[in-house]
Amino acid sequence: MALALPFPALQRRLGVGDFACIGFLLLMIILIAFGTQIAPRDPLAFDPMHSLEAPSAAFPFGTDEFGRDLFSRVIAGTQPTLLVALAAAALGVLFGTATGLVAGYLGGAVDETIMRVMDTLMSFPGLILAMLVVVMLGPAPMNVVAAIGLVFWPRSARLVRSVVLDLATREFIDSARSRGESRLFILTRELLPNVLMIIVVDFSLRVTSAILLSASLAYLGIGVTPPTPAWGLMVRDGQQFIELAWWLPVFPSLAIAVVSVGTVLVGERLRRSIAMPGGDRAR
Amino acid sequence: MTVIAFILRRCMLLVLVLIAVSVLTFAIVNVLPGDVATAVLGDMATPQMVEAVRERMGLGQPLPDRYFAWVAGILHGDFGRSLQHGQAIAPMLLGRLGNSAILGGITLAIAAPLSILLGVLAALRPGGVMDRVISGFAVGTHALPEYVIGLLAILAFSIWLPLLPGSSLMDPNENPLSRPEALILPIGVLVIGMLAIISQVTRVGMIQALASPYVRTATLKGLPRWKVVMKHALPNVLPPTVTEIGMYFGYVIGGLVVVETLFSYAGIGQMMTNAVSYRDIPTIQAGVLVVAAAYGIGNLCADVAALVLNPRLRG
Amino acid sequence: MNAEPQAIAEDTMPAFSSEPTLEVIGVSITYGSDAGGLKAVRDVSFRIAPGEAYGLIGESGSGKSSLAYAVLRHVPAGRVTGRIMLRGQDVMEMSPQALAAARGRIVSMVYQDPMSALNPAIKVGEQIAEVVRRHRKADRKAAWARAVTLLGQVQLPHPDEIAHRYPHQLSGGQQQRVVIAMGLACDPDLLVMDEPTTGLDVTTEAVILDLVNDLRRALGVAVLFISHNMGVVAQVCDRVGVLYAGQLVEEGSTAQVLRAPRHPYTIGLMNALPTINRAQARLADIPGRLPDLRQVPEACVFAPRCASVQKGCTTAIPALETVGPGHRTRCFERDRIVRAMAPPAEAEAVAEEATGKPLLQIVGVERSFGRMPRLNLPFLRQRRPVRAVDDVTLDIPRGRTLAVVGESGSGKSTLARCVAGLLPPNAGDILLEDSVIRPMVQNRTRPEQRAIQFIFQNPDAALNPHWTVEAIVGRPLKLHGLAHWSADLRARVVELLDAVKLGQRYLDRYPHQLSGGEKQRVSIARAFAAEPRLVICDEPTSALDISVQAAILNQLRDLQERHGTSYLFISHDLGVVRHIAHRVAIMRHGRIVESGTPAEVFGAPQHPYTQALIAAIPTLERKRRGAEPDTTRIMA
Repeated sequence: MALALPFPALQRRLGVGDFACIGFLLLMIILIAFGTQIAPRDPLAFDPMHSLEAPSAAFPFGTDEFGRDLFSRVIAGTQPTLLVALAAAALGVLFGTATGLVAGYLGGAVDETIMRVMDTLMSFPGLILAMLVVVMLGPAPMNVVAAIGLVFWPRSARLVRSVVLDLATREFIDSARSRGESRLFILTRELLPNVLMIIVVDFSLRVTSAILLSASLAYLGIGVTPPTPAWGLMVRDGQQFIELAWWLPVFPSLAIAVVSVGTVLVGERLRRSIAMPGGDRAR
Repeated sequence: MTVIAFILRRCMLLVLVLIAVSVLTFAIVNVLPGDVATAVLGDMATPQMVEAVRERMGLGQPLPDRYFAWVAGILHGDFGRSLQHGQAIAPMLLGRLGNSAILGGITLAIAAPLSILLGVLAALRPGGVMDRVISGFAVGTHALPEYVIGLLAILAFSIWLPLLPGSSLMDPNENPLSRPEALILPIGVLVIGMLAIISQVTRVGMIQALASPYVRTATLKGLPRWKVVMKHALPNVLPPTVTEIGMYFGYVIGGLVVVETLFSYAGIGQMMTNAVSYRDIPTIQAGVLVVAAAYGIGNLCADVAALVLNPRLRG
Repeated sequence: MNAEPQAIAEDTMPAFSSEPTLEVIGVSITYGSDAGGLKAVRDVSFRIAPGEAYGLIGESGSGKSSLAYAVLRHVPAGRVTGRIMLRGQDVMEMSPQALAAARGRIVSMVYQDPMSALNPAIKVGEQIAEVVRRHRKADRKAAWARAVTLLGQVQLPHPDEIAHRYPHQLSGGQQQRVVIAMGLACDPDLLVMDEPTTGLDVTTEAVILDLVNDLRRALGVAVLFISHNMGVVAQVCDRVGVLYAGQLVEEGSTAQVLRAPRHPYTIGLMNALPTINRAQARLADIPGRLPDLRQVPEACVFAPRCASVQKGCTTAIPALETVGPGHRTRCFERDRIVRAMAPPAEAEAVAEEATGKPLLQIVGVERSFGRMPRLNLPFLRQRRPVRAVDDVTLDIPRGRTLAVVGESGSGKSTLARCVAGLLPPNAGDILLEDSVIRPMVQNRTRPEQRAIQFIFQNPDAALNPHWTVEAIVGRPLKLHGLAHWSADLRARVVELLDAVKLGQRYLDRYPHQLSGGEKQRVSIARAFAAEPRLVICDEPTSALDISVQAAILNQLRDLQERHGTSYLFISHDLGVVRHIAHRVAIMRHGRIVESGTPAEVFGAPQHPYTQALIAAIPTLERKRRGAEPDTTRIMA
């Protein structure tokens, strides 16, 4: 049976913006995969001779107090920053989707119970909850992923649930029920394809928040330990030299800015090009 | 009458939420893999040291007993003792909370009206010059962590142009309002962060309202444009916007933690990040609970405000 | 643009000598770019004399609403050419100030959906008073007093109290009265009414139409009345124009156009209209669909669907030519076309009630709704449980149709959902061939599930937007094991699509690529794929145009004859029911108030409610109801 996903909007011709987005994504993938190899110098190697040097041809972003090349550290920092964000967003959206689908479609006591747990998780400001969890679990990338995933879980679940509740009142669901389809079939074959677009958009937004959240955690000194070249941590360490060596906090900050604005723009483009078939309400 | 009933109901709900939050906080601290004593001491601790800390923190007792003892203490104003300073957490917490409230309150008072105004302006002509400038600014600043904006602000206004202090470090007993110049940068950074969100929320609501049939009715009555916007569209947009502002309080609190740390401002956020570096678990636990409570109360206030702003329920 | 000058000057307008209130001259409305844009309205001209009521009839896509809003120059996404003269002033040339001064004072509007047209956050009295203040420089007190007077004029009880209410505290009929009062606030010369009764029940509709007639007589206001319903137009209008695909195809007095139409489209519409006066064997549907308004050929727009099409029809655009005093039609064959009336006294086509055991029995079914789960907001009063279905007992004969008729809130859809097993009844049993079946569909046996299929009201929501037509129609075949091999499956699906006059080429389409009528045909094909013994049709044609409705109803009758399927047919439209039902049950407040054969129920209604319902139907003859009690209040 055909369960293809029609992407009518994607059949239009690609423009300059689309290529810019694709280029940005490719660049990110390359930096994540081969960042350490591409970096001109060893991001971890001390070089006391060149400590706190201003940006120059040899050191495009300058050097830090240990003489490490900031440019290489920023490039090598792509992976620890982005991989955590992507994994955390995926984890949160995955759990959120499953929870939201089940709660929204089953309703009743199951829904009540699930949503009260979600409400409790949402009663914490995101950063605070992530902070508490990482502090207790200890500093490790996987723990940061788990903590941010936990922050996103209830938010994604709520979104998916509200979409499912809206869809569940549509007559095609009644039609499936009245011909005797199982709940599993209705969840996976009738509802899921309709929620998928919203999940994709939600994921793109969550990636941006995850970058910001993990960078904020790193900045607060939570979740990563030196000498990992995570951007947030580099800003934190560089901040004390701000009057001497402005480049130390500024370049990692710019890296965060570029990447997160980039993901916002990619997400925005994605949201605009994914229109539900038949011009359905885009959320 | 309905408003009072609503507030009462909401307060009861808040109590339930706080109970749930305290359980969850306690659970994360005590049940997650990773021992509290080890978390306090770090990986280098010897078994003897761990045992000593366990003893001191009463970790040997059963979990429910410890939870109820903790909650009972809080209800009597006792949040336990800080491991870092060795003194009671409650008085310190109270002072810090006041400082944070000053920072957050001023931010909200500036950001909420300003960003609603910007949102309305952007919505008047979607895709127009005004909209592009406002929405572009909002998308850009929303994608930046507060400390990036803050660092740039420090560089610009405190180092390159030495106009404002780059740090808000002050005596713990000093009233922050006595040094307003030290508040300008942190508040500015927080306002920018909030502007981005609220102006976009308002914009979306306003665009929807302006496309609605009742606005068409008002236009075709021959009413002037400003009257259509201010009298017919805005009253319908404001209540849901205020509710949504409430939902972003959590975001503001996160920003507060970062900004307080950046500017060394003696608020509750900075207290918590300090406690994190000293592995001062009781202080973190107390801080998390208080912040969640503040978040809950903020949400409640937003809901009440939305209700009061809704003419249908007021009349 | 085809701005051929219209033959207005030559055409002698009847009696009205004074300056027309509205004169529309060669107006075209285009959405999107000039070249590939959607030409919603093309070269339409008509005029409305002071105090006259002019009706514009058209189906969806005819451009009637665009035209209505163009009169107030409110076409945000479109481009209007031509002239719209309001009391001699061109609306399109007005300065923004003059336009704002004219809106609400010279011309005002009554909207299709009063609930959304009223501002939910402002008291209705203020919504009227602000118009008075805006255009009459009245102070607050005087404006409020005028608002209360107006609410009294539209016959709302206790106007001073109603003025303080918010729209959501009023019923649909009351809201529409408020909108009418708002429109009349400054004694405009012209009231534009855009489908003003479409969302209302028949009895409410009748009362609103009476009100419009009374006000028109009392105030002398001219009316531009937009509707798809010819009966409604007949109740209000002096003259009528028929729009098809953006063109005025016929125009004349109401009697001329609706009793002796001279354009094939108008004739087709009349023949497609199910009425309660005659039970026709077949309704005459209009085959085909609306032309693509992006590329309109230089030909008669109706030619592709016309029964009397000639060679010349496809090569030139016919002009609007006079065929009688004030009667004009846009057809080359105008002199040969006379309305082919269906033989009026054809034998009762719907056969007598079948004898023998009923297929399905509904025994003492009850269903009430308590408070909404989870939606217990503190400031909403908790509702008392409402008995939506109250002790209903009905039989559905084999191979026959039982129609359940009622207005909104009568519980007819709830009853259908109980039979389908989508909602569990609180009490009572459903018997399929004498054996009780489980209340919830998921607990029924496979053969029971297969035996009862459902066709839904809203074709847009009834099909999963992510499935192809093949998947949708093929799914019941797979589920019930009626086709195993994929080639076999495909052949069966094509067969089913053929049966509803959709060919093989529809297999790979998605619902959003189909028109409303096509979607409903897919729904029918899906229902019949399971080879059911009972099909529940819940208002299957209420979202469709008249010409499409006729085709769908014919389809359902053909399928019933071929397969011997029983129907439980839910409807609010007595005309449709008269046409398809073998037995009729009238439902009100959850109870069956009357039931019998159509001849009995429509010929000699016993219950006062049935009588009121039949009396309220807007027929092509104008009715003048006397001082009847306000039925909206009874309904509310």
